[in-house]
Amino acid sequence: MTFGEFLSNRLGRVFIQLIFAAVAAFFLVATGTQAGIILLLFLVFLLVFAATQLSDFFRQKSRLHELEAIMERLDQKYLFTECVPMPKELYERKIFDLVRRAGRSMIGTVSDAQTAQREYREYVEGWVHEIKTPITAAGLICRNTEDDIRRKLTRELGQIEAYVERTLFYARAESPEKDFIIRQTVLSELAAQAIDHHRALLMQSGIRVEMEELEQEVFTDSKWVIFILGQLLQNAIRYRGENPVVSFSAKKFGKQIHLTVSDNGIGIPEYELPRVFDRGFTGSNGRSRGGSTGMGLYLCKKLADCLEIGIRITAKEGRGTAVTLCFYHA
Amino acid sequence: MQKIMIIEDDSAIREELVLLLKNEGYCPFPVVDFTDIPKQAKQLCPDLILLDIGLPGQDGFSLCADLRRSGAFPVIFVTSRDSNLDEVRALSLGGDDYITKPYNVPVLLARIKAVLRRGGGALEAPDVLESQGLRLNLTKGIVSAGTNSVLLTRNELQILACLMEHGGGIVSRENLIEMLWSSRIYIDDNTLSVNVTRLRGKLAELGLPDLIKTRRGMGYQL
Repeated sequence: MTFGEFLSNRLGRVFIQLIFAAVAAFFLVATGTQAGIILLLFLVFLLVFAATQLSDFFRQKSRLHELEAIMERLDQKYLFTECVPMPKELYERKIFDLVRRAGRSMIGTVSDAQTAQREYREYVEGWVHEIKTPITAAGLICRNTEDDIRRKLTRELGQIEAYVERTLFYARAESPEKDFIIRQTVLSELAAQAIDHHRALLMQSGIRVEMEELEQEVFTDSKWVIFILGQLLQNAIRYRGENPVVSFSAKKFGKQIHLTVSDNGIGIPEYELPRVFDRGFTGSNGRSRGGSTGMGLYLCKKLADCLEIGIRITAKEGRGTAVTLCFYHA
Repeated sequence: MQKIMIIEDDSAIREELVLLLKNEGYCPFPVVDFTDIPKQAKQLCPDLILLDIGLPGQDGFSLCADLRRSGAFPVIFVTSRDSNLDEVRALSLGGDDYITKPYNVPVLLARIKAVLRRGGGALEAPDVLESQGLRLNLTKGIVSAGTNSVLLTRNELQILACLMEHGGGIVSRENLIEMLWSSRIYIDDNTLSVNVTRLRGKLAELGLPDLIKTRRGMGYQL
């Protein structure tokens, strides 16, 4: 707030005071007071008026300054009215009270929503853990059946498991409380575990898996990265072409390590590439092959952002797709 | 025989684990009464405990601490909870390994074998396989017949080892591929054919060109 702004806001008051002074002067002239006295009175009046206005200006300015500082320091800005001292003036206090009531209702709504979200996440996580018990049991039981049936059932169970896992990570990615632990891991181990999780799906789609130069160490959360790699494998399976191959390779670029997962599948049209990380974007491949939810790459991007891993995609229609994860190396 | 104590509240999984471990030559002891498990463990003195964290009425973590106090049994946690926090907690409480459900069977067996081996007293897996006049040294990757020997690649070694372990039985291509994937050799059908052809070539150098027979529509046989 500048002095000019302050003054223009009080223009009405200044005008009324001037009129008042003019009326008083007129009255004094009419009653025969000496011009010198009138001038003196007028000067005194002007001085007092200017002094009160100036003091008002500086008081308001310093208070605003104080409030700004409180706002600046606050992590949750909507808690502002809870952290501000009560104003002294009656009218201001009434206004403040109203604003505080509005703020409280907002805080209540926000905290209700946060609780609901946390409870929902807990429920989803609990559900995911519950469903894993029968999936495990089914996996063990079908081991005793004939090879052909076992293989088919194992693939279906693998598919169920992949969907369940995605639900879990969706709940985790959308929740503000992130549960990850950054540790030193070797890329080959991450790739191997992602492959292990999808072995039934990979084997039966006849995909050859290649791994090159993955003996490099990175600092990251292995569970999340294994999930991301799993999503990329699922895409490679779903959008595979003739003689499918999926390959993992790593390269060091200065302080970064780039892990690339590439396939020789049907690829992605160039004009769709900028949107593949969008939530729910299925594109022409998703429409032609079906079963796409547009969530896989969205989740990859989301999780990668949380872990501060860069993620890039390149693709040629009919030739294949390559997704690169950029880690800062150990 | 090595005793494995199974602490798992889901009866279907428990029964299947018993069957599985029996087939693998272990001696499984399922726990059905979940009161005072440490005492039961003390009486049994198992070589390994498979412990489910989500037991009814009690916390698997505190149970593990109790088990640790009653004896130095290796413990593998088997759980459907896979948050990082749970894993760190389990391992800091002295668990030897942590497997999340749903596990695939080969992985589970490999982990069990690894922990038992670490605990010592375990039978070392045989280093040399012998069958039909063929000697396969697994650590050196050398196969020999009589005085001649040939060096094998990792893939060829695993294929031959698998065929030899089946002692003349037919091994289907799919099973062979599954077995190779368990050893982290991610091979497809064509590559398998190529590898078998190469392996046959090497065996021919030893004077055994027709050792691996192709059984059309069924698989390979030694």
